[in-house]
Amino acid sequence: MQNASSGISLINDIHQESSPLVLARHRTFPVVDELAGLFTDGGIRQGSTTEITGVAALSLASALTIAVSRSGSWVGAVGLPMLGSSAASDLGIEFSRWVFIDHPRDQVGAVIHALMAGVDLILVGPDIKLPPDHGRKIVALMRERGTSILTVGKATLCNLRPDLCLRVSQATWTGIGWGHGHLLSRKVEIELVGRGANSNLRRELVWLPDKEGRLKTVDQSNEPANLLQSAPRMQKVLPEIGEQVLQAS
Amino acid sequence: MVLTNTRTLVLIIPHWRVIAAGATHDHLAAVVKKDRVVDVTPAGAEHGITPGTRRREAQKLCADLKIIEDDEERSIRKFNSVVASLESVTPRIEIATGGWCSFPTRGPSRYFGGDQALARIVAERTLKALSAVLKTTEVPSVMQPRIGVADSRFAAVLAATFTSLSRVQVVVPEGSATFLAPFPVDVLASKYSPLLEAKELVDVFRRLGLKTLEDIGALPSEELLARFGSPGLLAQQLAQGIDGRAPLLHSISDVVLEESEIDPPADHVETAVFVAKALADRIHRHLAINGSACVRILIEVESEHGEVSSRLWRHEHQFTSADITDRVRWQLEGWYQSENPPTGPLSSVRLTVDETVPDSGQQLGFWGEKTVNDERAIRSFVRIQGLLGPDSVTVVQRGGGRRLTDIEQRVPLAGTRFDPDQVITLPESTAAPWPGRLPAPLPIAVLPQAQQVEVTDGNGRRIGVSGRGQIEEDPVRIRSDSLGSHLIIGWGGPWLLDEKWWDPATKSRQARFQFLLADGTSHLCVIENGKWWLEASYE
Repeated sequence: MQNASSGISLINDIHQESSPLVLARHRTFPVVDELAGLFTDGGIRQGSTTEITGVAALSLASALTIAVSRSGSWVGAVGLPMLGSSAASDLGIEFSRWVFIDHPRDQVGAVIHALMAGVDLILVGPDIKLPPDHGRKIVALMRERGTSILTVGKATLCNLRPDLCLRVSQATWTGIGWGHGHLLSRKVEIELVGRGANSNLRRELVWLPDKEGRLKTVDQSNEPANLLQSAPRMQKVLPEIGEQVLQAS
Repeated sequence: MVLTNTRTLVLIIPHWRVIAAGATHDHLAAVVKKDRVVDVTPAGAEHGITPGTRRREAQKLCADLKIIEDDEERSIRKFNSVVASLESVTPRIEIATGGWCSFPTRGPSRYFGGDQALARIVAERTLKALSAVLKTTEVPSVMQPRIGVADSRFAAVLAATFTSLSRVQVVVPEGSATFLAPFPVDVLASKYSPLLEAKELVDVFRRLGLKTLEDIGALPSEELLARFGSPGLLAQQLAQGIDGRAPLLHSISDVVLEESEIDPPADHVETAVFVAKALADRIHRHLAINGSACVRILIEVESEHGEVSSRLWRHEHQFTSADITDRVRWQLEGWYQSENPPTGPLSSVRLTVDETVPDSGQQLGFWGEKTVNDERAIRSFVRIQGLLGPDSVTVVQRGGGRRLTDIEQRVPLAGTRFDPDQVITLPESTAAPWPGRLPAPLPIAVLPQAQQVEVTDGNGRRIGVSGRGQIEEDPVRIRSDSLGSHLIIGWGGPWLLDEKWWDPATKSRQARFQFLLADGTSHLCVIENGKWWLEASYE
């Protein structure tokens, strides 16, 4: 992770930028090991847009910033007034180089534009919409500066074209029953659909969060092999379910 | 901040405004702007008329005086023809105003064999062009061009204005501070000074017994800054032969360029100016976002036949968009009246910001700047604060408390003594020291404002809680406008919260519940006084 962070600071170095010896896959932002398997490049490619959708989208988007936030890079969150810093720091995010612009009003384009000059990773909230012409300008600038954007919710909704789409396809809570227990840990299945080298569907199974609020790889050897595959879309509501694991699609 | 100096040649033609107005030295003429004389011929000056004299007073002093209204456009347009004679010397001529231009000497000086030789060539060519304007072979000495070369622009201006008989003065490299030392502080308030409205400042300097630039240069800069703010510091830098404001460090992508086609191509200067105005507005907005101001701009206009008029313009303080538009008009007027006017209609306008300085309205100094990364980041946040207001950029700071909104705290970035390397200590959410705290994990989406929801039982009746927080019926459905209507497939709670039970005024009894819904989402709701609120979600 240390190497990756020094790599980020180098991105602004013209030599690094123009050198043909630096392969695109080396210019990535680090991602924690639990999620690295989703990325062919081992991390978030610089200058790319990643769309994150599904039930646990906000948790997943936050989890993707853990390594970056710990590496001395800056993260900017636009239009995410709801992001709970307690839960996020339990996930492992370091907030010392993290800023929020909760309400960019009608200046979304200008704000993201300005932010790109200073931060490496930008999180964009679900209600953010860029003017269409700004979207194109920003993509060009992202490529140039190496800033990456993660959108919580559909990227096209904010007029950006995603390079990668991550979707939480299954989410299952443990710990809560009918009138007793509480939300304890959530097992999520993440699917990746991308372009180019990422065009193969990839899946990753993680606890997001585990019972301590952290991100953790699911140890599949201890799991019933077909648990997720066999999960019904929705289980009938029965008060008798008790402490059983509840399924949700 | 690194202060870089550029060795500069400054050319000043005295009495340019009367020359541009068509007067020669023996005319009795004065140029007047807003009821005051701004320039007067030497013959007029003999009657005691000086710049600043009121119009009526001037007429009283000399009944035959011809009064000409000032016209900046005319002044610059005519000056263009003089500047054109120097274009073979350097392409980087910056026109400040009529009768006053400058350029960096580095390249041309090497080419022509030193500053002295360069200055002589410039003097010769300007004189030739000037005699064409005045339609005389004998340009009177008081109107002959004056040239100064020095390490800073301000020093070069003073070298040009206070020249000896030769009308050329070259200050040796590294010698600018020494050259400036004996000048009285008043020069800081002259029309050639980059200091804005400096008259008061100079008055204070004099009252403090600071008489010369040397006195100003010798003061501790912190004290000048503390007492007079940035104008004080700028005054000192000028006095020391440093061009005060350093250009912003900028990368290639920061270059601001706006261009536009003129469609259909236009024969009228005003049409092109109109197009340029929109570009100038865009540039101005763009720079404002970046917290910078333009002091030098390159204006290029192309005709349909491929002829290009290209010129650099400099502003002593900063260009407004109206200033830029004016320069475009002047440049075009000059082009049409030059020896090589465009043969086809004008087809495109391009404006390139060539040099910017930090907009002095913004300061970063009080932030604990750490790395280059941090400095860059902080600068971009300042821009955003400029766009959206000082409270718009927030950072995380957490406090204790049991309500989620107590735990989650954002503070405006500007309000904190910001130090990114300082570890922000966050309370361990799992180590709840008091009852009623939420069980971990905490919800990641905390609504800034709770939303009212409806929670109903199997028969569609609203559910309440008993005094002990016990729920009366099993909750089966949750509904709200933003959420829609959802089946509850799992729930937990209550977690009771008797906030500040010792204070009857703020006493509030709340019970929290977690709901897992059929669509896979899970939420944290609170019931208070019989009303349900959606507080947070585990998204």
